[in-house]
Amino acid sequence: MGRRTATTRAAAVLAAMTLSLAACAESEEGGGGGGGASADETGPIKIGAVLDITGAGASLGVPERQALELLAGQLEEEGGIDGREVELIIEDNQSTEDGAAKAMNKLVNEDEVDIVLGASRTGPSLAMRPIAESTETPMISLAANQAIVEDSEWVFKTAQNDRVVIERMIDYMAEQGWSTVGLARDASGFGEGVQEMFDEIGAEQGISVVATEKFAPDATDFTAQMVNLRDAGADVNVIWGIPPAAGLAQRAYDQLGIETPVMQSHGIGNQVFLDTAGEAAEGMVAPLGRLVVAEQLPEDDPQKEIITSFIEDYTAEYGAGPSTFSGHAYDAWQLAVDALSEEGTDPQAIRDHLESVTDFTGISGVFTMTPEDHAGLSKEALALVTVENGQWQLVPDQGD
Amino acid sequence: MTDLLQLLFAGLSQGAVYALVAIGFVAIFTVSGVINLAQGEFAALAGLVAISAVGSGLPLLAAVVLAVVSVALVAVIMERLVIFPVKRMTTLVSLILTLGVSTGLKALMLLVYGPNAEGLTPLTPGGFSLGGVSIRYQELWILLIAGVVSLAVYWFYERTLAGKSLRACAEQPVAARLVGISLTKASLLSFLIAGTVGAIAGVLASPLYFTSWESGLTLGLKGFVAATLGGLISVRGAVLGGLLLGVLETLTAGYISTGLRDAVAFLLLIIVLVARPAGIFGRTAEARV
Repeated sequence: MGRRTATTRAAAVLAAMTLSLAACAESEEGGGGGGGASADETGPIKIGAVLDITGAGASLGVPERQALELLAGQLEEEGGIDGREVELIIEDNQSTEDGAAKAMNKLVNEDEVDIVLGASRTGPSLAMRPIAESTETPMISLAANQAIVEDSEWVFKTAQNDRVVIERMIDYMAEQGWSTVGLARDASGFGEGVQEMFDEIGAEQGISVVATEKFAPDATDFTAQMVNLRDAGADVNVIWGIPPAAGLAQRAYDQLGIETPVMQSHGIGNQVFLDTAGEAAEGMVAPLGRLVVAEQLPEDDPQKEIITSFIEDYTAEYGAGPSTFSGHAYDAWQLAVDALSEEGTDPQAIRDHLESVTDFTGISGVFTMTPEDHAGLSKEALALVTVENGQWQLVPDQGD
Repeated sequence: MTDLLQLLFAGLSQGAVYALVAIGFVAIFTVSGVINLAQGEFAALAGLVAISAVGSGLPLLAAVVLAVVSVALVAVIMERLVIFPVKRMTTLVSLILTLGVSTGLKALMLLVYGPNAEGLTPLTPGGFSLGGVSIRYQELWILLIAGVVSLAVYWFYERTLAGKSLRACAEQPVAARLVGISLTKASLLSFLIAGTVGAIAGVLASPLYFTSWESGLTLGLKGFVAATLGGLISVRGAVLGGLLLGVLETLTAGYISTGLRDAVAFLLLIIVLVARPAGIFGRTAEARV
């Protein structure tokens, strides 16, 4: 022992400290700055966006950024809003809550934006909400959890509420005659409260969750969770997460040879899921936005035209099709632009306008906002989709 | 019983990856007292290089070789540019320097390969079931190759002249120099070993656990904990530490709570540093490499 040991110990402690410091420094970014919201009626209109461009939410944030940049470019070509230039400022929150709060502070205090879009996921969106409320800045989140807009004054969102997703899933389970559910959920904000909601909404049909497993959004090995789901022996298992984690979980499920039917959430509407899950995704059922099955929609579908033209523009620009997440960004952008062109840049007027949006056709569904509902979508916004030969496929006979 | 075996197996293959990363820490630390915080980045970089090489049409094996060779080269260049010029290297200075390299490598990977996580094509796709325990061929590859590499590194230190001279530098730096062993060459060699082993870990892990620009952070942390379990100066200790960590993580996730999975590593680190700073595998570890 003796000296060598002491050195080793000191070195190890130092290294551990530095590594954890490094982890913290990951999300280092400037903040602060003073000043309130600007309501001047000249100069460029500023739209801020806080997205999960790097980190666990990258498969959401990247297509969202692409959609926003595409739309901002189109708007610029059209000459902006009422002749005023529109400036889009995008911040990366690195998929962290503190990163989102800092970025939000920067956008509101330094850039003095007129409206903020984002974040991509629930956790970061929840971190931004108090700043939006206290500075009275309109904000449109692209994330799912209903908690983001519950009793909110200034915060709206475009992704389908997890509540309507679960309603859709419960309907399907009841149709199939399943009554027990095994749940493997994201351990971050996106999965928070999901089990309780399944139990609450399913109570009427006698559907309840019998086992809950969690996984970190950046988890890589899912053997333990899936083994426990297998042992729970439920009628149907639900994986509630976003890719790549959701895809890897699906793979582990398939790999362990579990025969029980499996459903996923609306968090998987992108190519990354199909790529990561591969053949394991075949037969899985998930409620997704209509974007992924655009060409299979009937001609009279109210969303068909707008979805098709978005897909064409997006594909022409980026060489690959959009995901449902870029659809959430599209909707948030259109809602914001609609409010800005009707009301100018007065925050209160923008907020009131957003709250009174009625039958606004978007990519994720047809929005009707009310003072009680700042998400604006019902379960009709979701189609049940499965995977066949590596392609999204509408589940036939959905009864509506 | 099937569950236990399943969890053990998953833990072992995960642990084998930690073990390889841990060997890299040990290889460098024993020779120069440098703790290389970029060790995890070696693995991530190798995974990304291999994925993009396969993406551009190279056969899998060629891509893997390319990845290992280029990351070994990166490690050697890193030693020459960052470690070699420093005259009085202390552990603190080495931490700051290698942290800088780690951050730089991460930024570079993000710029070049983008933010999404991807997986390399497995060496052999698919798997089979043995008595209810499902096994992926890639997991067998991980265990096999990690075993061979560990043995090779061990044999190198114990049986070859170059390996013995590295151990001499570690144990008696002054005496080593007196008998004509070049410390700078030894340091370079140790980085070459660390880069190669780290890169092998990266390409083995990628098909199952996926690689992104930032996956090196977790991998590096876990590998470091594994190395510390073995006292930071023993290859054997690092391998056992890695396997133990992998198994403990999976068992914790399976039987206690999946949320505690990542806490296991740090809990172990604290316990070992307080109770057995020389590593959990014995008293003589300090004299062995």
